[in-house]
Amino acid sequence: MTPVLSITNISKSYGYIKALKGVSFDVPEGSVFGILGPNGSGKTTLLGIIMDVLRQNSGDFLWFGKPGSPEQRRRIGSLLETPNFYTYLSGTDNLKITQAISGRGNRKDIDMVLKKVNLYERRWASFKSFSLGMKQRLAIGAALLGNPKVLVLDEPTNGLDPVGIAEIRKLIVELKEQGHTIIMASHLLDEVEKVCTHAAILKTGTLITTGLVDEIMMDEDVVELSAVDFQALKNVISQLGKEMILDERAGTVQIVFPKGMAKMDEINRHCFNNGIVLTQLVLRKKRLEARFFELTN
Amino acid sequence: MTSLIRVEWLKMKKYNAFWWIMGITALSYPGINYLFYVIYSEVIQDQSKTGQLAKMLIGNPFSFPEVWHTVAYASSIFIFIPAVVVIMFITNEYSFKTHRQNIIDGWSRSQFVTSKLIDVLLITLLITGLYLGVCLVTGFANQERLIKNTWGKSQFIGLFALQTFAQLSIAFLIGFVVRKAFLALGIFFFYIIFEQFLVALLRYYDSSARFFLPMEASDRMIPVPGFLGKLDPEIYKKALDAVQQQVFIVVIYTAFIWGICYWVNRKRDLK
Repeated sequence: MTPVLSITNISKSYGYIKALKGVSFDVPEGSVFGILGPNGSGKTTLLGIIMDVLRQNSGDFLWFGKPGSPEQRRRIGSLLETPNFYTYLSGTDNLKITQAISGRGNRKDIDMVLKKVNLYERRWASFKSFSLGMKQRLAIGAALLGNPKVLVLDEPTNGLDPVGIAEIRKLIVELKEQGHTIIMASHLLDEVEKVCTHAAILKTGTLITTGLVDEIMMDEDVVELSAVDFQALKNVISQLGKEMILDERAGTVQIVFPKGMAKMDEINRHCFNNGIVLTQLVLRKKRLEARFFELTN
Repeated sequence: MTSLIRVEWLKMKKYNAFWWIMGITALSYPGINYLFYVIYSEVIQDQSKTGQLAKMLIGNPFSFPEVWHTVAYASSIFIFIPAVVVIMFITNEYSFKTHRQNIIDGWSRSQFVTSKLIDVLLITLLITGLYLGVCLVTGFANQERLIKNTWGKSQFIGLFALQTFAQLSIAFLIGFVVRKAFLALGIFFFYIIFEQFLVALLRYYDSSARFFLPMEASDRMIPVPGFLGKLDPEIYKKALDAVQQQVFIVVIYTAFIWGICYWVNRKRDLK
């Protein structure tokens, strides 16, 4: 299947600063693709290039298997960096401009997206009277206009309150379930971990890793166990000769295995045969945050 | 093209500053011509020998066909008013960052510049329409007898439109390059004054380089009107003969300005 977006060896410099250094990856159809990285890692620059507001120095990208063009951008709902609207116009009038340029949706759809992002009641208020959260919601509304199959969202939860963040997260999951492809840049790792299926991690313009989020996070297997007698559990596990992480307060022992090497049944049998009845036995995924720090530091 | 016009109309129809400035323009263009008319009336009503001599020499510059020329010359003074709108239209796009958003939403970079070209053409059209209205009203109001040559000097409609478009294009270029509204307006006004000094200086040294200065080049397409020119027929004739050459220079300049805008917008990062 042709990837929705295919990026090949893209480099970009601002004077002597190299913002992107030969970045390549594919975004599969139907994925929620997170582009992660600390501030200044090149996330927004990369999105700017694929949306044609920035020019790359070298490399190429293909949308739907074809070089980027205005026709293709019209099929993509985008929110890049900050909400960009005419401040003297109302939410409705701004969306009319988005609609007229992109050709996505119609007048009915404008009202529909305004309802979806909870701005319908304020639809005739001028953009300059909006709070930061409302501006962000209008930008998300503009991206959703006409129900595009592909969305590019740069920090979509910027400026939103916790309820707004949860709503956007829910919306992204809903869109994914409907088969939309979402490309999302974020430095909120918790957000990415909760909604993304795939991710690419950038550090100072270099692609550190890319793939399924689960694969990125699970570079090793961490098995967490607990039992009524913590000391006895510790002694029994130490017989396995594996790296252990002890948490006496929580009463847990974690054993670290190379990726795919943890055999849960064998661990359970080993404990049972040595007189330990486990109260907990789980294969823990490493938190994306921890993995991110490992990769970027 | 109709889609670009529609989008630009959506942008401007609720932009209060645009309507205010166009309103001021609509008052100032007839206003300056009325002022010229009052001065002229006072001169010819003077019963002294000088007054009567002036009446004989001048004729009526506000009747057809001379009115086309007179109104074009007087109205061109106020080009800086619509220039404010042109500068606002482009610098707004930068301050709202909509010059990026329009591209993200699906315009090509060339379409964005074309949309601005449409703005400048539209304002030129409005100004020319206003000029046309002032000419017709003034011309018919000053009709003393049946004049067959109503459209005799109507080539000034085209010259006025070209002059307006050329000078608004200069304003646009400044806004396009500078990006900040107040700075661009300041530079534009400063340049208008600075160029006047430069023209005076070059005239003093009798240098023809002044004919190639951007604003002066288009100003010279509409020479000092006949009723003033008659006081020095030789200079007047020279100025009229130069019009064709000036049109050529202005067309080249204006094409160059828009060419630069298209080229720069295609190449640069839209930040």
